[in-house]
Amino acid sequence: MAAASNLAHLAMGDSTDVALAAGGDRQAFERLYQAHANRVFSLCARMSGSRAKGEELTQDVFVRTWEKLPQFRGESAFSTWLHRLAVNVVLNARKSEGKQASRTEEGDVDDERWDQTARAPMYVERMDLADAISRLPAGARKVFVLHDVEGFKHEEIAEMMGITSGGSKAQLHRARLLLREALER
Amino acid sequence: MTSSNMNCEAFDAALPDYLEGTLDDSRRGSAERHLSECVRCASLLRDIENISKEAAAMPDLVPSRDLWQGIEARIAAPVIPLAARPERQRRLVPAWMGVAAAALIVSTAGITYMLTAHSLRPTQGSAVAQVKPIDNRPQTNAGSDSRVTPGSNAPSPVDVGGPGIEPAATSRVVTGAAPPRQGGIPARLASQSTADREHSDLVYGKEIQMLQNIVSQRRAQLDSSTVAIIERNLQIIDAAIAQSRAALARDPASHMLDQQLTHALDKKVELLRTAAMLPAST
Repeated sequence: MAAASNLAHLAMGDSTDVALAAGGDRQAFERLYQAHANRVFSLCARMSGSRAKGEELTQDVFVRTWEKLPQFRGESAFSTWLHRLAVNVVLNARKSEGKQASRTEEGDVDDERWDQTARAPMYVERMDLADAISRLPAGARKVFVLHDVEGFKHEEIAEMMGITSGGSKAQLHRARLLLREALER
Repeated sequence: MTSSNMNCEAFDAALPDYLEGTLDDSRRGSAERHLSECVRCASLLRDIENISKEAAAMPDLVPSRDLWQGIEARIAAPVIPLAARPERQRRLVPAWMGVAAAALIVSTAGITYMLTAHSLRPTQGSAVAQVKPIDNRPQTNAGSDSRVTPGSNAPSPVDVGGPGIEPAATSRVVTGAAPPRQGGIPARLASQSTADREHSDLVYGKEIQMLQNIVSQRRAQLDSSTVAIIERNLQIIDAAIAQSRAALARDPASHMLDQQLTHALDKKVELLRTAAMLPAST
């Protein structure tokens, strides 16, 4: 879909396409995908710390959206509902991977080992903010992306991640300090 | 680096709440007095605020490839038009239901054959339309899908017992390609030519092949235990299909065996659809 068409679509809102897609209209769903793909991909890539993983998760998000659309009641904006669903898909994927994969992967440093391992990836030369975010430990990265990039509140993050609001605040502060260090500010 | 009310260490501890705006007036006042005197802490605060602002203003990323094709392949399962079922979510039937259904098919196929072999046997001397058991007639309970492929060639539903239904001897027939499903009514055509039946077989074959290709491509993304369960279920369903076909070859007039075969084929399609739409690593 052309950019102009995307803008026109966004201006009109998603409601018509949401209703059509919920009824099985794949073309309407494709229009919804085109309108929201970049935002969803940005969320997935930044939360996972990997563009490749973000692409895979983005596909999962839209497949899940297709399945769940009949349950969308319009109580919030479609974009809000979609992003909440995307966060859940990413978090569930991380949980699933966590059960299978070893914890040696750079991006999957758990909270308990945070202090011992978090700094290792940050010893690099100058980097930009996006790169520095991708190198954060998983827990801190997720909270930072959800709070500072996506604008979720600590209470919402705590609920989605199954942590306390205080834990969310602590992770956010750690993330900010690590980013400052990485960016040599 | 210190003030009368707050030193750097105390400021560091208070910084998260300061940034959140949740410090009480007294502590906020102390923090601000410290900030006015301490370059180190003022710099820290400024850097963190800038990082947050930059993060909030980061532009959207763009995928390096077209993701829609992969999404479409996973949601575009239905090729055989099937009438709407009450809720689309039912497509995500737990694997154990597939096993149970397949086991039920296996266990009942033989019984069904025995029960129907005599009652539905064609009248002596009458012509049986076709022995070949492939049948894609509608099945009431099998996992259908509400997403009908636009532009597909769905034939008109044919009511049981309608004017087109021929006597039992010749009613061992199946619908044409892409049969519609009618709620609770197995649609049957009065007769079916060999060409119809072959076409039906082709439609089912294409659907299953397409889904198998998708599942095969996504195999590496799925949890190995999930893949193992899917494969076991497919083996069970394949066995049920083979049994039903064998039974139908012996008794091509059996309507119930027809239904069993259709049910088994639908179960295979449904299981493959479910597998094709599973999220990665679940």
